[in-house]
Amino acid sequence: MTTYVLRRLGALAALLVALSGLLFVLRRSSSGDPVRALVGANASQEAIARARADLGLDQPLTVQYGHYLAGLVRGDLGTSYRTRRPVGEDIAAFGPPTLELVAAAFVVALVLALLFAVSSILRWPGAVVFRAVLQVGAAAPTFLLAIGGIVLFSAVLGWLPSGGRGTPGDPVDQALHLLLPALALGIAPALALGRVLRSSLLTTLAADHVRTARAKGLGEAATLRRHVLRNSAGPALSMAGLQLGFMLAGVLVVENVFTWNGLGSYLASSIPVDDYPAIAGVTLVLGATYVVVNAVVDVLQALADPRTSA
Amino acid sequence: MTSLTSSAAAVPQQRGLLTGRPVAGRARRAVTDRRLAWAAAGLLALVTLVALLAPVLAPHDPLQPVGLPSSPPGAGGFLLGTDTIGRDLLSRTLLGIRTSWLASLAVVAVGLLVGGTVGLAAGALGGWVDGLLMRVTDLFLSLPATLVAIAVVAALGPGLFNTFLAISLVWWPFYARIVRGEVRALAARPHVEAARLAGAGGVRIALRHLLPGVVPSAVVTASLDIGNVVLTLASLSFLGLGQSAPAPELGADTARTLAELLQHWWIPVVPGLGALALSLAGNVGGDGVRALLTRRR
Repeated sequence: MTTYVLRRLGALAALLVALSGLLFVLRRSSSGDPVRALVGANASQEAIARARADLGLDQPLTVQYGHYLAGLVRGDLGTSYRTRRPVGEDIAAFGPPTLELVAAAFVVALVLALLFAVSSILRWPGAVVFRAVLQVGAAAPTFLLAIGGIVLFSAVLGWLPSGGRGTPGDPVDQALHLLLPALALGIAPALALGRVLRSSLLTTLAADHVRTARAKGLGEAATLRRHVLRNSAGPALSMAGLQLGFMLAGVLVVENVFTWNGLGSYLASSIPVDDYPAIAGVTLVLGATYVVVNAVVDVLQALADPRTSA
Repeated sequence: MTSLTSSAAAVPQQRGLLTGRPVAGRARRAVTDRRLAWAAAGLLALVTLVALLAPVLAPHDPLQPVGLPSSPPGAGGFLLGTDTIGRDLLSRTLLGIRTSWLASLAVVAVGLLVGGTVGLAAGALGGWVDGLLMRVTDLFLSLPATLVAIAVVAALGPGLFNTFLAISLVWWPFYARIVRGEVRALAARPHVEAARLAGAGGVRIALRHLLPGVVPSAVVTASLDIGNVVLTLASLSFLGLGQSAPAPELGADTARTLAELLQHWWIPVVPGLGALALSLAGNVGGDGVRALLTRRR
């Protein structure tokens, strides 16, 4: 077990280095010029040379990458061309709303996935409709779900607000503002998760211990709850980790529809002005989150079920 | 036929296997199922045809105002309405569909080609080559694909070709994994062993005895994947990483007209529906291809 955990941590470190290396290489080839961004278009040759030296751009690439990595470890992600503030500070400011939205969408996805999986096995009357809705929902682009949700729930029905984060200090209002974006973001992962959960439920349902539980007269609901769901959670857990990658990208889109002031809105403002440090910073933070969460999921799974670490 | 058997084993979680449908009912439905599968797979060809013919099918110039601004669907002879400056939404969406679909097919083709080559090389050669290629593949697979693609396009500069390049860069590892697994399974089969004993060289074994066996599952994987590429492309386009302003594009057209949502809902919704239709067609068609290629056992 210890070996497995150590190996997984080693892989995690390699992944983080690779991710940062990729972003570093991309920064070199990016169309935005950091020197011009710093000194402006009309600077003299001397000023440009000085700025290049200040930024360390006259040093060999390996040295530059070393500086870049050392900076990352200190939490230094460079300076945004647009806001002129350290990217780290910007991300610290815009990150929490994004985190909140992703967490809420995750809960939505879990609940819907469970409904999907259990309903397709129990065959209740609404199951067909529910599954069809999820199927189409998962094929829809995230932004279409978001604007469709606004048209239906805000414009036509008037049940939910169409954007913003709600009045600060009013938890009910904030929860209402959170519901629609979380739903838009959670539907596609819910289907992927529900499918995995369903097939692992079916496998577990065919297992001997479930037959024993039924044979001794345990009700269907109690059997599901106590003998099936727990044993089926493993594959769903790793799928949940993978779906996080989808959500971290999808949240960027959803935020822009709902004027949710998080990393997605920050990114969308950075893209048109070629603010590469900001874009790379957001990618790095979200990418690292994804990689770390998946490592944690793997370790958790190995702890819960030692067979997976073999 | 033997090669098709293994492809069935490689595509996991076939629906219908575990649902316990009565055997007699299955036989009766087999014929209908097969026709449905052909129809579904034909959908892929149909959409490709529409994409190719889009400039001919579009009733108006997608770039020029042709009617009153913001006409609702149906008004003034515009089936899907017009946008804020009076351009025909049907024509714009058709052209957007063309771009999205052809780019998605290209991404999948590049993924098949690059991933297939890597997977075939890794699986056929084994040893340290396999180890090295698969570590690189795993590395890419462990990174969040869409986020990496966003960073790549942002660095290269927005544009259709750069978006295509970025998505292709993160898309091939998936195919490499599948093809490699398939090749490893095939390499242990008697016909490959027989070929080796008969003195066939490595290249001949890879191309004549391993490659054909990999094709069905690779094609199934690819066709089920088109919908995903469509959605990823649409997301990047929505974030402003696709073509620049006047060109019709499914994601970008929605993003640019979001402010219209509450007054003229159809202007941002119609391009989004185009992307939904494409991804649904991709999913249904992919399911059809899978049914056709994995049925024969």
